[in-house]
Amino acid sequence: MSPASSNWLAEVGAVFAKEWRAELRTRYALNTFALFGLTTLFTASASLGTLSIPLAERAAVLPVILWLILLFALTAGLPRTFVHEEETHTATALRLAASPVALFVGKQAYNLVLTLALEALVAPLFLVLFDLEVQNVGVFLATLVAGAFGLATGSTLVAAMIAAAQGKSTLFAVLALPVLLPLLLFTVQLSRSALTGEAPGQALPALLLYDASVAVAALLLFPVVWNP
Amino acid sequence: MRKILQLALLVLGWLVILGGFLWAPLGKGFLGHSSRILFFHVPMAWASFIAFIAAGVWSVRYLIGRDEEHDRSAAVAVELGLLFGVLATVTGAMWARTMWGAFWNWDPRQVSIAFALLFYAAYLALRSSIPDEEARRRLTASYAVLGLAIAPFLFFIAPRMVPTSLHPEPVINAQGKPAMESRMLMVLIGGFVWATALFFWLHDLGRRCARVVARREAPPLPVE
Repeated sequence: MSPASSNWLAEVGAVFAKEWRAELRTRYALNTFALFGLTTLFTASASLGTLSIPLAERAAVLPVILWLILLFALTAGLPRTFVHEEETHTATALRLAASPVALFVGKQAYNLVLTLALEALVAPLFLVLFDLEVQNVGVFLATLVAGAFGLATGSTLVAAMIAAAQGKSTLFAVLALPVLLPLLLFTVQLSRSALTGEAPGQALPALLLYDASVAVAALLLFPVVWNP
Repeated sequence: MRKILQLALLVLGWLVILGGFLWAPLGKGFLGHSSRILFFHVPMAWASFIAFIAAGVWSVRYLIGRDEEHDRSAAVAVELGLLFGVLATVTGAMWARTMWGAFWNWDPRQVSIAFALLFYAAYLALRSSIPDEEARRRLTASYAVLGLAIAPFLFFIAPRMVPTSLHPEPVINAQGKPAMESRMLMVLIGGFVWATALFFWLHDLGRRCARVVARREAPPLPVE
């Protein structure tokens, strides 16, 4: 491995480790995710679970609830990704210490792990509370992982965009939702086919293609967004 | 010259309206006179498409050259794209009420345009909430370029996930021949030219207005 690439990986690792150290001091994002995810999930389950909807209809209708819970939990927890750098005046130091691409990859990896943790909490509870059975476990897990990747990548870029704006957290939701809507269409359809056992069709390649193009766009745009 | 072009735009607009209502025949398989909305609905959708593409191109040019004029062009194009997009959506919904029985059916094209309108409305929300001018231009341009990355999913991939669309065939079919009665086609092409020219005329006006506003809001030059 050349010295340049090992430097780059070291920068990514340093940003990732810094994010975790800061997160474990306050547990802001983890607590927000846990409380938001559980509250909305229990609310939905308490109002829909008593209706005794047949299993086939539950499997077709409910995936959108899972993905809406995940999406809105992210919009509650992830906007701070770059905002706290501006608030604590560490943004300039970060600009000097890490290259933009390494910074983005480090932050994105941190947000990806957070999103996967949120899914690990919410998805099993969702299946238990709504009494659903996954027919195709492979498709379900692939959807969760690929969905988390797209959600984390898009959210990280939008979080960087709103760091300079006013009314940051509401603006984050306004900007992130149109970007993440195609992803949501694909993941909802994939979860539905995983629950009902239908063939997933073109939705999985479409989701992977979406992940790839958002990642490429983010890597190209982040240096512009981050450096004035 | 400008006056002549404006007059030509006005005359062409009236020709499209009169031709669409009086001269062109009715489409087969459409209820009543509902096919006449074609001459207004399709050009409006086309104009909003041009406007959003133009906004993307001007945003890329702003990020490359950092010319304020390109940034103003992109913002005005987004505003006009939203205007034309809303007109296309409303005319489409009126037609859908007649032909399909409901204003909104989640037809793939309705999904695409609804998401596009949400995205560019968010663009304007971002634009109005960044106090620093340089950051505002840089970040809104980045957001518009991100829009170019997700647009194929909205317009080509997501609509194909829904198995059936009731939306009539686009004008140019797979054989590359317009399958339309010649008088209807002439009025429709007139509508395309008119909507495109209208977009560029309104865009020119909007950009000049934005330039005047920017000059007025700029801090006064220091007095020697």
